[in-house]
Amino acid sequence: MDVTVRIRRFNPEAQNNKKPYWQEFTLTNVDETDRVLDLLHRIKWEQDGTLSFRRSCAHGVCGSDAMRINGINRLACKILMRDLGGTKIQVEPILGLPVLKDLIVDMEPFFAHYREVMPFFVNDDPVPADGRERLQTQEDRERFDDTTKCILCAACTTSCPSFWANGKYVGPAAIVQAHRFIFDTRDQAALERLNILAEPNGVWRCRTIYNCTPACPREIEVTRAIGEVKLAIQKGTPHGIIQVHEIKERVVNS
Amino acid sequence: MSSLVLTLRETLRYRGAVGQWSWVLHRLTGLGVVFFFILHVIGTSWAVFAPALYEKEIKVYQSPLFTLGEFALTFAVVYHAFNGMRIAIFDYRPEWWKHQQRAAYVVFGLTILTLIPTFAIMFSHVLAHYAQAEIIILPIPTIIEAVSPFIIGMALAVIAAVVLSGVVGLFTRNRDMATNTGRGSRVERFWWSYMRVSGLLIVPLVFGHLAMVHVIQGVFHLTTADYVIVGTTAVNQSGTVVEFVGERWNYLLAGVAIWRFYDVALLALVAAHGFNGLRYVLTDFTMSRPLLRRAAMYACFIGGAITLSIGAASMIATIDQTAVQIAAEEQCRLAQAYSINAGDANWNPSQSDLFRAACETAEGTLPVILGR
Repeated sequence: MDVTVRIRRFNPEAQNNKKPYWQEFTLTNVDETDRVLDLLHRIKWEQDGTLSFRRSCAHGVCGSDAMRINGINRLACKILMRDLGGTKIQVEPILGLPVLKDLIVDMEPFFAHYREVMPFFVNDDPVPADGRERLQTQEDRERFDDTTKCILCAACTTSCPSFWANGKYVGPAAIVQAHRFIFDTRDQAALERLNILAEPNGVWRCRTIYNCTPACPREIEVTRAIGEVKLAIQKGTPHGIIQVHEIKERVVNS
Repeated sequence: MSSLVLTLRETLRYRGAVGQWSWVLHRLTGLGVVFFFILHVIGTSWAVFAPALYEKEIKVYQSPLFTLGEFALTFAVVYHAFNGMRIAIFDYRPEWWKHQQRAAYVVFGLTILTLIPTFAIMFSHVLAHYAQAEIIILPIPTIIEAVSPFIIGMALAVIAAVVLSGVVGLFTRNRDMATNTGRGSRVERFWWSYMRVSGLLIVPLVFGHLAMVHVIQGVFHLTTADYVIVGTTAVNQSGTVVEFVGERWNYLLAGVAIWRFYDVALLALVAAHGFNGLRYVLTDFTMSRPLLRRAAMYACFIGGAITLSIGAASMIATIDQTAVQIAAEEQCRLAQAYSINAGDANWNPSQSDLFRAACETAEGTLPVILGR
């Protein structure tokens, strides 16, 4: 089939007109199993070599090619023509981050929010005597399993009207990353993270609009994770954190 | 400002699910209700502090323009109430998120189901009112004149807040209050819970209030003489709204002034809920503009405090016979000036069905005894 791809272009090095503009490309012989990324490749390789976009693994793992496709944030490498239906596609950069060129945005503000929530494992206890891993029950691992799936593609954060309105809001992705450690019974910095997220630009900017949940290419229950962090802040402690010592004793005794 | 424009434009462009539209509608209805709330609380306080002005205010509320507004207000309150409950439920049970879309549609459905009978009754009040021959219809300039003090007052409050924010900014130039730690988080934590708990408490109170004043009695019957005042056993003798308010606040059930307590509870809960909601909306769009962000916070805090104090002061004070007489004089005067029969030289409001009680009260021939 023939497909028209409408792309939001922006060239900061243009001689005269530096304003973003729409450009249409027509592609022939497109299969319904082609990914949007394949279409972008064909445009870049066959029609306009100046078209710029990020992609790395091209298989929905690295999270490089998040863009707004037909009005919704998705990964270009995970969305097939069949999923979109129709023969007109509109592609534009994700919103709320500075556009560098065409579909490439500056991810630095996004990663800055990510770093704010201490997205790393904190446990100062000595390594277990057998020198092997810190054990955890399957139920405790299950508690934060969903939020371990995040690939930091920014699709959720840039689908959030609160983030569009206020770039200082940490955004869904950073909260998901915080959730992954806050609800990990082996981690010891949950309260610090909860304090960070209790700030005015933390979780309270979330208005439960639920744009982030369907935007996630990994199907993480994003709004739910944010809700759980809010409740943990209200209680002053996440579920499970209280049980940390019990679990350690259990592990030691067994 | 650019943040607001961008968010509005992109919200229209982004193909989010129903939750996005629920959010837009929740904000719009909230803003509408807060705006009317300010008008209504300060207006009603005039029953005590400026009875003639309040009598005129109610004629403004009975004008066609405000009748449209009344329907919009009822929609806004009902939708905001149901959607607020949806938000609260999913906030305290985030694991139920899979049902949130269906819940958003249920909210639309419940709103429509509630509004059909409500609007039917309200509309029957409108029809009955316009079937009468002698009604007062205020001309548009008079309505604008009556509402302009509120608009000017709000504009002045906004300007004052910006100026105050500018002055504070001069002294705290090097410190950005948005990045404060500790204190801010406890405040936000409190408000988050408050919005949800107060919302749930407000729902029965505000539905009761709407049912009484807008559905059962109806705005037009607030000024009907010999009409039993809703929620009391008293009759509106003068047919003035000031007597209506006075009788309700004076009404004792088992020795307790129930409507005074009811109104104080509603006032306090809504003032804090509404102005904090307004703060949410305004600060969402001004986080990167310290001057405007501070101004928004001052405007909401001071606006809330002023509205609350004026409302509370009017409920502590008592409406007496003098106030009713002043109101009756104004109603009789308005009838003389603006009734659709006003052009008829043979027509005298003192002899009309609608305004006789008010005119006689004004002349002193009909002694009004409050709390009878």
